[in-house]
Amino acid sequence: MSKIVSITGAGAISYGMKQINPDVVPAFPITPSTQIVEDFSKFVTDGKVDTEFITVESEHSAMSACIGASVAGGRVMTATSSAGMALMWEMLYIAASMRQPIIMTLVNRALSAPINIHADHSDSMGARDSGWIQLYSENHQEAYDNLIMAPRIAEKAGVRLPVMVCLDGFIISHCLQNMIIEDDDKVKAFIGEYEDRHSVLDIKNPVSWGALDLADYFIEHKRAQNIAMKNAKDAICEVSRDFSNVFGRKYKLFESYKTDDAEKVIIAINSIAGEIKEVVDKLRDKNEKVGLLKIRAFRPFPYAEISKALKNVKIIAVLDRSESFGAYGPLFTEIRTALYDMVDRPLIYNRIYGLGGRELSLDLINDIFQESENYLQKGKVEKIFDYINVRGG
Amino acid sequence: MSKYFEIRWHGRGGQGTVTGAKSLAEAVQGTGKNISAFPEYGPERRGAPLKAFNRFSDDNIRIHTSVKNLDVVIIADPTLIGNNALTEGIKKNTIFIVNTEKPAVEIKKALNINGQTLFTVPANSISKKNFNKEIPNSAMLGTFAKACEHIISLEDLVKESKHIFSKMLGASLVDKNIEAIKEGYRFGDVVYG
Amino acid sequence: MDKYELKPWQDLALGGVITQGGNSADYNTGSWRTYKPLWDKKHCINCLTCWVFCPEDAFFLTDNLKKESKIKKKISGINYYHCKGCGLCAKECPVNKKGKVFAIKIVKESK
Ligand code: SF4
Ligand code: SF4
Repeated sequence: MSKIVSITGAGAISYGMKQINPDVVPAFPITPSTQIVEDFSKFVTDGKVDTEFITVESEHSAMSACIGASVAGGRVMTATSSAGMALMWEMLYIAASMRQPIIMTLVNRALSAPINIHADHSDSMGARDSGWIQLYSENHQEAYDNLIMAPRIAEKAGVRLPVMVCLDGFIISHCLQNMIIEDDDKVKAFIGEYEDRHSVLDIKNPVSWGALDLADYFIEHKRAQNIAMKNAKDAICEVSRDFSNVFGRKYKLFESYKTDDAEKVIIAINSIAGEIKEVVDKLRDKNEKVGLLKIRAFRPFPYAEISKALKNVKIIAVLDRSESFGAYGPLFTEIRTALYDMVDRPLIYNRIYGLGGRELSLDLINDIFQESENYLQKGKVEKIFDYINVRGG
Repeated sequence: MSKYFEIRWHGRGGQGTVTGAKSLAEAVQGTGKNISAFPEYGPERRGAPLKAFNRFSDDNIRIHTSVKNLDVVIIADPTLIGNNALTEGIKKNTIFIVNTEKPAVEIKKALNINGQTLFTVPANSISKKNFNKEIPNSAMLGTFAKACEHIISLEDLVKESKHIFSKMLGASLVDKNIEAIKEGYRFGDVVYG
Repeated sequence: MDKYELKPWQDLALGGVITQGGNSADYNTGSWRTYKPLWDKKHCINCLTCWVFCPEDAFFLTDNLKKESKIKKKISGINYYHCKGCGLCAKECPVNKKGKVFAIKIVKESK
């Protein structure tokens, strides 16, 4: 039986990991993902899981051990944040290029300097080209559900790519909230047995992983990886459909919240979507045609699906919780690309918010819809790029 | 009326204020409501003033920003009185719950508030008597049930708390906490707004 | 001829995994040659120095049929599928070093 529990976001992830019962978890704790690793090590000590828990001296080693364990044929998981993932950098690419279906929870946190432990998306956005599938989560339930779906997506033939499950640091990871935890057996049945590919421990069929490619082969391997990512899009949809059949909650590549007849839409990622929904509802009560499009899959990015979903929209504000200094925000560039082929392109502008954990209040979100309304009446966007809620403007 | 019932806790680092907010949330969740509990995120410093927040609702709780629409302010440490943050953003009908041995009228004056209902509870002495140390949370939860019966009744609070405490504590400590809750409900002073 | 056909991406193994052991033997390093060593049996004293130094293991060895000899193997030729023409063998050959005759001669690779 599923049960409703009060749990922190980090607690929900470690509980999900317990239910998945991976073969190996190499991990190094870092704020705000620490509780995941702490809880999980307790599950290991208490014999609640069969996992081989590998303590390491750095995140570079954590991901290296993940890759090693994965090529040895195990189902492998880990968790990290911010600087921790930055230290994994080299290995992130190797995990993806060697097509190892490793599952990593990334509790989103700003990158230094100045040192900051709070939520923004600089860490995961920086890793968007590493070849990992990236799933984002608005709240506890979505983070847990994404985690339960991740192994099936990652391990699917034709995909075999690592998955990063992202949730906002502190805002979700440290907040106690009620959510549904599914039954252990049902989760286990949903995930299924792990099927290894070319395990180095299969001594009857010796293999070697991580060999050199020269210019005569490298690009073909990258091409194959690109197709795996393309297949991942179908896999996400398929696994999400199965998930809703079993557990009832529906997920797609992105969530369209009251966008069908919307004129003004905000596009955003992760926890801020909750606040935006709240404002959308309030404005809808006043008969304003507003909506939210919340990205779930950022890699692979659903360009065609998004442009289809936005075909009647008149103006879009894209909120980025990370900087790409000298360029527009990473979400904005993707959305604008998605819209390019539309016959009637909506107006669009970009706002950076919430870096290092700064709150974006309901009033400020309301102001964004107001600004959209102004632009709509003028028929043009006056400021394509700006910051919200920063002293000095 | 907002669809969220919102609470702000004031305490000091190391006193278990965040735990208090979490325990209350868990108990309220047991009655079928949606809940959230979270601290104001900052450096954790022992003895430094800190805030924690609760939201309760029959609807899904979708917002995570710090609480602005105050239904209740809980002051877990009376030495904070004098700090302007305690009364920031309050409304006419915000209810105060203060851990203190002093009469409610006096506290109201000290807080410089007018028209709000204020409950006091001698949570430290209740705790001293039951546990031989100062952990005021349980007694304060009892006072909350008195002040906000429509959120959780004493009966439900006792029932849910038993369940929650049993997961972490031995039987005798569970009983003592339940006793502290009941005394927190029974004792203390009030001035109505 | 190259034993390998360069494959399209569709035919590549998952993540570049190598499923056959010892497949470096299939790699035609001979295609890199611009100079070619010619081994001359007449002057060779079978010291095996070239065999030791050759980075591609390109010297063929056969059993030394002279039972009384301490050297159990002898050079029998060069594997041009692997010889990349680096010239190390000619440089290290002690017969060559004496400078009178050459046990390994380096010539330009004929097209
Ligand atoms: S030229 Fe170089 S590769 Fe060729 S046989 Fe001599 S040492 Fe070996
Ligand atoms: S180094 Fe010269 S002499 Fe010695 S085995 Fe090779 S070719 Fe013969």
